[in-house]
Amino acid sequence: MDTHPPSAALAIVPPQRRPPGIWRQGWFRFRRNRGGMLGLGLVCLVTLTALLCWLAPYDPNDQSAMLHGAARAAPSWAHLLGTDRNGYDVLSRVMYGAPTALAVGIGAMVIAAVIGVIIGGVAGYFGGLVDEALMRFAEFFLVVPVFIVILAVVRLFGIMVVGTRLESIPHLNLMAIIALLGLFGWPPIARMARAEFLRLRQAEFVEAAVCIGTTKRDILLRHILPNALPSLIVLIALGIGGAILAEAMVSFLGFGDPKAVSWGQLLYFNYEALKVAPWASLSPGVAIFLTVLGFNLLADGLTDAFNPRLRQ
Amino acid sequence: MTRYIVRRLLFSACLILGVSVILFALINAIGNPIEILLAERPGVTDEIIASVSKYYGLEGNMVDRYFTWLWAILRGDFGTSIIYNQPVSELLVIFGLETLKIQVPAILIAVALAVGAAVVAATRQYSRVDFGVIAGAMLGHSLPGFFVGIVLILVFAYWLGILPSYGAYSTRALLLDSPVADGLWHMVLPVTMLAIFNTATLTLLMRASLVDVLRQDFITAARASGLPERRVVFGHALRNAFIPVLTYLGILFGLMLGTAPVTETVFTWPGLGALYILAIQQLDYPVIMGITMVVTVMLVAATLLTDIAYVAIDPRIRLA
Amino acid sequence: MPSTPASASSPALLEVRDLRVHFFTRDGVVRAVDGVDFQVGPAETLGIVGESGSGKTVTSLAVLGLAPPPAKTVSGQILFEGSDLVRKTGPQMSQVRGRRIAMIFQNPTTSLNPIYSVGAQLGEVLMWHERLDRRAAEARAAELLRLVGITDPLARLRQFPHELSGGMKQRVGIARALLCNPALVLADEPTTALDVTIQAQILDLLAELQERLRMSMVLVTHDMGVVARMADRITVMYAGRVCESGDARTIFNAPLHPYTRALLDSLPRVDQSYAAARPKLATIAGRPPNLLDPPRGCRFHDRCPDAIADCARVLPLETSVAPGHTVSCIRRGSQGLAA
Repeated sequence: MDTHPPSAALAIVPPQRRPPGIWRQGWFRFRRNRGGMLGLGLVCLVTLTALLCWLAPYDPNDQSAMLHGAARAAPSWAHLLGTDRNGYDVLSRVMYGAPTALAVGIGAMVIAAVIGVIIGGVAGYFGGLVDEALMRFAEFFLVVPVFIVILAVVRLFGIMVVGTRLESIPHLNLMAIIALLGLFGWPPIARMARAEFLRLRQAEFVEAAVCIGTTKRDILLRHILPNALPSLIVLIALGIGGAILAEAMVSFLGFGDPKAVSWGQLLYFNYEALKVAPWASLSPGVAIFLTVLGFNLLADGLTDAFNPRLRQ
Repeated sequence: MTRYIVRRLLFSACLILGVSVILFALINAIGNPIEILLAERPGVTDEIIASVSKYYGLEGNMVDRYFTWLWAILRGDFGTSIIYNQPVSELLVIFGLETLKIQVPAILIAVALAVGAAVVAATRQYSRVDFGVIAGAMLGHSLPGFFVGIVLILVFAYWLGILPSYGAYSTRALLLDSPVADGLWHMVLPVTMLAIFNTATLTLLMRASLVDVLRQDFITAARASGLPERRVVFGHALRNAFIPVLTYLGILFGLMLGTAPVTETVFTWPGLGALYILAIQQLDYPVIMGITMVVTVMLVAATLLTDIAYVAIDPRIRLA
Repeated sequence: MPSTPASASSPALLEVRDLRVHFFTRDGVVRAVDGVDFQVGPAETLGIVGESGSGKTVTSLAVLGLAPPPAKTVSGQILFEGSDLVRKTGPQMSQVRGRRIAMIFQNPTTSLNPIYSVGAQLGEVLMWHERLDRRAAEARAAELLRLVGITDPLARLRQFPHELSGGMKQRVGIARALLCNPALVLADEPTTALDVTIQAQILDLLAELQERLRMSMVLVTHDMGVVARMADRITVMYAGRVCESGDARTIFNAPLHPYTRALLDSLPRVDQSYAAARPKLATIAGRPPNLLDPPRGCRFHDRCPDAIADCARVLPLETSVAPGHTVSCIRRGSQGLAA
């Protein structure tokens, strides 16, 4: 049975559209994942709140409510989420907490990602003793009780700068926290970067690139890195959520930046008044929850989108 | 196998030493805490500062002090607390037990619940029950621990009034006049808070692992041999599925221990975490060092134990 | 080829009638097995042949009720020892599996539990089915290991699967199937995952065991060479349906269905040289149909050299053209079902 068309028909062949690359494919798969889309929605909500925080009904440092005895007031039309112990409007402070949270999350992860990718890449590239040494170094961070050490360092740092010129830098405490979170957050990224590097180094397309004479730098930047990105992005998303949570915990314990408007700080100020003004603690708590949930779901959705094989 | 353990032990020892050095250096970089605490007080002379410092072992240069401290630690002498004026080792035991009182039950309960939930979900994959379990676990995993604690206190202590809102013991009348009952009553909320996160995380992991294992050929082969489903799931599938989860148990324990300060602040629980916060606020550095070392050792031990368990359970690894 | 021909008058040990097993996936219903009939007589070997995706493995799993979700046996009958297996519940099937019907799996590495010793896995089956205690179970397991040609069985019982070679693991798999003296053994591509040299050994072993224990065997494979050696009767499957069924001699010497013909033609021949690329190795052009939406008529029609227009519209039914020989092809005399 002749299944080939007569050759005349071959003359007019429409040009083939390029098949979608891994990013578009990943996006299509991601869209089908309801959890991931919800996560994306939450993250967008937080980002939007951060960008538009100046639309808040009150100034976050406005304590006028205290002056006319309306501190610790339950939610009302004047104050949609009520007022807190110090007379601040809870809604406004929660809104202004969003940019702080994102700054913490993104700032910490940028530091962690840069350090992690470099260390992981170097370990994977050189192998041998360098690899061993670097990975042992990373393991060190896994064993150390990170949170506890961060608490101690933040406190000690706070004492060290008393009386020095550094003291006058605004939000120095917050920046120290961000730096520490980044400095302690790179090991998982380094491990993933190294694993991806090792995996991709042996991939056939890299062999092919080497064969045609691509420079090492090009191989790293144009071939390996883009293919390692999906896994790294997932870790980074998780890390942002984790960093926001960590900062919230540090502030909740009282070691945060008292001048910064962060959700953890809000909890710290208002936890004592939990019985009389629960809304003042619940609101920032819910905000933290939704943000962390958003990033977790996003990371989960991204994992599914880029690695459908891993799914059931 | 013994060589493996010995290697790991040596490495762990180095790790712990490393941590101690770094922390010691950091703390001492800020100067003499006695000076800082007493400096502005009236009637305090340099001699007083010097003698108090000597009493707490704070004189001399850093390197000397470090080795003195290290030597003392190895003999079990953690020094004296500046705040409490009691041997640090005593404090570590008292507060440590309180911390373990809530953390150990939390992990045990979590493992039991997670195994149950994972089996139910994995054997009914794609069903509504499965999705329900996944959703619930994702929720529990993403809820910040201290938020859960706050809500628990709000609901059960303030609104319903059936559970205490703080402390490990009642200050006035004991529940049912029994210290045991009273203690347990106070443990309920903190253990619940810790158990929620642990259960959720373990459920997600175990379920994923179990789903993977149930797809394997040897499970079909076990069924094909006529073994009842219960035996296939619990005897064959679960045992295999537990292996990757085992490593995570160590990490989970470490996480719980590491965030103990937060847990214990929420419930005003007199454990190591609360002690630690007090110590760093007041610069009680023997306590700071003591707690950090103990926690690090416990984390290292947990990692080592899970590694050994892993090698012991999976026969494929033994020969490596 | 074994010399005992099947007798049409002896009652079948296993009779499968119009079996349909469908996979209910997110993208639709995959009709992996769509109307399959076959029988196996006592002490007889039936070879089920087909390419990947023909549904042969799903068929054998379905006999034991082990087709993995989202598969479901939607209709049909599987008659064995007086009852219909399709109608049995889980616990009832547990009594059949391993005791009356056993299975040998394709991949010996993945079909043994890696964390249990060989002895533990074999012993478990014996203790469950035959209520033996540990010592008796161990003795019987050792006996069976000896039967399948494993030396020093007591030592092997203590070992773990990863310590054994592929061939040895498959022998263990065979031993596991024979533990309770089943009447029927389903072997799903038992030699595909093995080295060629070991394949011959294993097949010899299976033939010898079958002879000795007088059991029936269903041998599922894509390898015509294996069937030629082992099978008394052959059923050829394609895209979830049976093309042709008959005794081995007839199928090899006088195949009727175009697909069977094409399969046999595509076998390389020892007496021809392919070095000069002439004649070329014969292939079957095209690909198997998508079982999410199978074609209305004959499923082979788009690749068939003998197809006519009606082939695309009429679904051929298995029709007997000679005693013990059935064919599903309207060009060879089958009845048809107009779509």
